[in-house]
Amino acid sequence: MTQELPFELEKVPILDELLEEQERLFKQAQLRKRIMKIGLLVVNSILAVVTLFPLIYAITMSLKTPGEIYTTDFQLLPAVPQFSNYVNAFQTAPLGRFILNSFIVAIAITIGQLLSGALAAFSFEFLNSRFKEVIFALVLATMMVPGEATIVSNYLQVAGWGWLDSYHVLIIPYLTSASTIFLLRQFYKSFPFTLYEAARIDGCSNIRFVLTILLPLSKPALGATAVNAFINAWNMYMWPLMVSGSDNYRTVQIGVSMMQSVDSQSIVLMFAGVVFCLLPSLIIFLVGQKALVKGLFSGSVKG
Amino acid sequence: MKKFKLFKTVTAAALTLTGLLGLTATNEVHAQTGENQEIVFWHGMGGNAGTALEALVEQFNEENELGITVTSEYQGSYDDTITKLRNSSLGNLEADLVQIYDIGTRYMIDSGLVTPMQTFIDAEGYDLSQIEPNIAAYYTVNDELISMPFNSSTPILYYNVDLFKAAGIENAPTTLAEIIEIQPALEEAGATMPISLQVYGWFVEQFIAKEGDHFVNNGNGREDYTTEVAFIESGVMEEVLTAWYDLFEANAAPNVGRQGGQPEFVSGQSAMTMGSTASLAGILAEVDGKFEVGTAFLPAVTEDGLEGGVSIGGASVWALDSQDPEKAQATWEFVKFLVSPSVQAEWAVATGYFPISTAAHEEAVFQENVTNFPQFQTAIDQLHASSPESQGALVSVFPEARQIVETEIENMLNGNLTPAEAAQAMADQINTAIEQYNLVNY
Repeated sequence: MTQELPFELEKVPILDELLEEQERLFKQAQLRKRIMKIGLLVVNSILAVVTLFPLIYAITMSLKTPGEIYTTDFQLLPAVPQFSNYVNAFQTAPLGRFILNSFIVAIAITIGQLLSGALAAFSFEFLNSRFKEVIFALVLATMMVPGEATIVSNYLQVAGWGWLDSYHVLIIPYLTSASTIFLLRQFYKSFPFTLYEAARIDGCSNIRFVLTILLPLSKPALGATAVNAFINAWNMYMWPLMVSGSDNYRTVQIGVSMMQSVDSQSIVLMFAGVVFCLLPSLIIFLVGQKALVKGLFSGSVKG
Repeated sequence: MKKFKLFKTVTAAALTLTGLLGLTATNEVHAQTGENQEIVFWHGMGGNAGTALEALVEQFNEENELGITVTSEYQGSYDDTITKLRNSSLGNLEADLVQIYDIGTRYMIDSGLVTPMQTFIDAEGYDLSQIEPNIAAYYTVNDELISMPFNSSTPILYYNVDLFKAAGIENAPTTLAEIIEIQPALEEAGATMPISLQVYGWFVEQFIAKEGDHFVNNGNGREDYTTEVAFIESGVMEEVLTAWYDLFEANAAPNVGRQGGQPEFVSGQSAMTMGSTASLAGILAEVDGKFEVGTAFLPAVTEDGLEGGVSIGGASVWALDSQDPEKAQATWEFVKFLVSPSVQAEWAVATGYFPISTAAHEEAVFQENVTNFPQFQTAIDQLHASSPESQGALVSVFPEARQIVETEIENMLNGNLTPAEAAQAMADQINTAIEQYNLVNY
């Protein structure tokens, strides 16, 4: 790569040398850069294989015959892929229906948590009331109570209302969460307050400010909390197991446990079920990870 | 449980009232038939067993002439099922029949939620001799069958016949000490470890049963509720743990943890393992013809235990008291179906559980299965060689006790405790748990 110079150089011999020297250094730097890039790629690939290995291993295991699972010599790939394991998994439990249920429940919970969390965080950060901090402390205090401690009383409550075995019993108790409120409030803390004041002076109502100004500007935070909420909802086990009885409202985590048999475990069947149930949350993470990472880091660097 | 009792008195009072009103209104009493009832059956069977159970329920719904509809609902593992039952019993019970594991038996009796099977048996004059006596004994308390055994299994010794042949050993060991004797020959023949022994509380209970000793006092918790462990006084726990530790120290049974045992065996590393009879099909599938699998009686800890029998594991079905006699009758009809010889034979073939009906052995489908898998014969012989006296303990805090036993065995194998100390540590913790339970519940 030669550069156009603003004046003639050929006439000055010393410059010629300098120019060559510059070119050499330039090439060297470029080479170094390329080596660096390749090196990083190699390191990254190795790390990717290491981190992805459990997943890859699970997938290859789910395609093996039972006889190939426990062997003394290591074999990653199955001799003949056994897709029948997946067929068996579907015969053991209606996994398709369970995944659909999980999606319905997880999406509804995510939307609910974002909505309630965004509004609550807004009130805590932008509005003034005398007991604001006390109420906020109370909200945070709910995070200290383990879910197991309240699950029985919650169950009795919903059972008394005759809610058992329905979508709403899976969704409604989880429509809000302290961690969502907390995360969003932390994000709003770095939001310029003057923007709110300006909007108010221009006659913007609170709700309009939230919908048209605050929310569009807090996309990364919303993305991060959404992924978090979704994965938590997707992974729920005890609550769905308790409040649902029929297959119509069961979620996918229960489907995974249905693969398990106490006395005669079929490892391949379990692997097939687990891999299949893993896919949706994996896809969600792939799609949402940019927002997640962005959201987690935003606020640490202002602007 | 105090809460249950209050709940029961209130509902009982309410029911008497409605019953009286009902009587004056219709003025006739007729025997319950259970016709056209819908009942809910909670179970903890996943995997292949779950599929097989669903098929049985479907078959019942189609075939029964009373128009009874059974809805079976999977409620997670055995632990999850009992947790859900515990919670829902405070509110409204949604099930009529529930499958509970062996170690939940005492809890179920204490819960006061249950209609004993004996009530139905007496009402109908059902012939109980159709049920394997050694299995029925486990679920019999004060001469009453409280729940109906459904899926039962016993522990047996699995061994690698090829390795045994190569080592020139003809018979499987009958005591744990014998394993050390044949260790050199097996290692010569290529076994990495003579036996892969899973750290599993069930095995300890079985060793104790084989020695003819009791796990807890008050007749192993059968004459009355138990107040403390009995294995310290008789010294049997120390005996069992010493034998286990000797195996470990001789490197005959390396520590394979709570999940190991079977994997080492099916991969051909260990020459023997202990496991449930219900694992036979799984083990054969995983061995996949790499070597021949043999089965033998569970080895005894000492010579004294040679004559002793094993007790059963698995689960039974419990009729829950729904205060509705028609539903109760429908539940009983379904229970009778579940334990009928043809169903038990089918169930045993599909899952590897022991058929609890004696007549099931005559069914062609079962006989064919035993011909195909002669290893299963050991399970039958072992159960028949046992006596109802080795029926096993009833402990309210059994799930917890098993955890404690396993933790202390691990402590012993890790060299933190001697066998005697480990036995004492188990006793202390289990006694505390029993004491606390008794304080709250009796």
